[in-house]
Amino acid sequence: MKRESPLKKSVKVTLVTLVIYGLLVATHLGEFWPFSIYPMFSKAGNPWKRAIVQDITHTHVDSLWKTTDKSGLPGQTVALNPLNVNTNDIANYLSKTEVWTQKKQSGVRKLLKKRLDNSTLLVYQARGSLTENDKPKVEFIPYLYFTADTTLLNNNLRVK
Amino acid sequence: MNFWNNLFKTDKKPTKGEALFFKIFELFVIVFVLKYAWQWGPYIQQIGEVVLPLGIAQYVDVSFMFEHNISLVNAALISVFAILGFVRIFPKYSYLIALAFFHLHYVSRFSLGEISHGSNFIGMSLFALGLGLFFFGNNPVQYRRFTMGFIFFFFGLGYTSAAISKLIGTGLTWPSGKHLWLWIAERSVDVASAKGQFIPNIVQEWVLDYRFLGTLSLVFGLLAEFFGFLLWFDKTRPYIATALIMMHFGVYLTMSIMFDVYIYELLIIGYPWAKLIDRYLNFESNPLLRKTYQWSIRIS
Repeated sequence: MKRESPLKKSVKVTLVTLVIYGLLVATHLGEFWPFSIYPMFSKAGNPWKRAIVQDITHTHVDSLWKTTDKSGLPGQTVALNPLNVNTNDIANYLSKTEVWTQKKQSGVRKLLKKRLDNSTLLVYQARGSLTENDKPKVEFIPYLYFTADTTLLNNNLRVK
Repeated sequence: MNFWNNLFKTDKKPTKGEALFFKIFELFVIVFVLKYAWQWGPYIQQIGEVVLPLGIAQYVDVSFMFEHNISLVNAALISVFAILGFVRIFPKYSYLIALAFFHLHYVSRFSLGEISHGSNFIGMSLFALGLGLFFFGNNPVQYRRFTMGFIFFFFGLGYTSAAISKLIGTGLTWPSGKHLWLWIAERSVDVASAKGQFIPNIVQEWVLDYRFLGTLSLVFGLLAEFFGFLLWFDKTRPYIATALIMMHFGVYLTMSIMFDVYIYELLIIGYPWAKLIDRYLNFESNPLLRKTYQWSIRIS
């Protein structure tokens, strides 16, 4: 039996991989790690949602659930890097959760547990969009209020 | 067939520089596999539930990874099989087994909704190394040729695919400076959230003051990505690699997002290092170089 040439074999393995790659990304919304169509930043100008956590332990807050802009954020912004928490993970929790079950609430608490023993935290969702003048506008909506033994949610969130 | 021949170079005479360069590249990949394994391992223990199932997590509940230090055991398994592959113990399967555990690691780490692309090239490189050893493990020269050709092919495709995604997702207006304004606003929240504060750098201030600068930088980025397929050809590879490295630096300066591993990997694969090693390094007169080469051949 004749052995296949290294070139033919290389091409065959590459093309079969390409087909598998294509099938996997086509059936998994463009992502099957390490395969990807690399769609990051493909939808430009679309509104976005991120998250920011404020420490309000030593701050008097008149209205806990008030939507604000950046200048109106109460207390100190909690730097998440030193807590070994990725800000994207908090942001995605807020944006991808439709019904706030106990499990969802404790999921966010678990990420912030290093700060919850002696702090009062207010977790905001930041929503950005372009105005009619093409200027970015960002507003901050309070979602979750945490103390060591209390969890409160914005009334507009669906709870189960 | 000419295209494939240029990509895989199966007929080219092997050189010492090529062998040494390849082992250095392989070491780079394995170092980053270990880095991700041990960076993600402890993080996975902080996760409470699967918010977004990715990859294999759509078929298997990966929440078992979040407890009892199982993700640390997984990191150890990735490490063991990656190192076994590197020293060619159990060579046919080691890298591919490491990749399977690595995939499980990735989908566990990014099960909270973020889809991270920072590790994709390392994952693809490990996949290339694994396929290479599986199909060409008994011939080190063909193994190197296949692995590098495969990597050039899929990296080039990846960049071009990123540009096409942008053209499909938004269209020709994608490079408008106002889009960069909105992304800078987004990143300002991300950076403040991560570090406690956000102070725009000088480039971000320019872009925010002059919209056309934002448009220019996005046009450059889109073109660099679109021509990513030029990584497939020897003659154009250093130029497109340089453009892509500049593009990544541009992303860092304008949006504070650092794809450092992509830059390192482009620096390694984008330039003819093997030829330069052959031309300028004398293996016979340099004992350290000779020993390193001999060691790399023993496990090639």
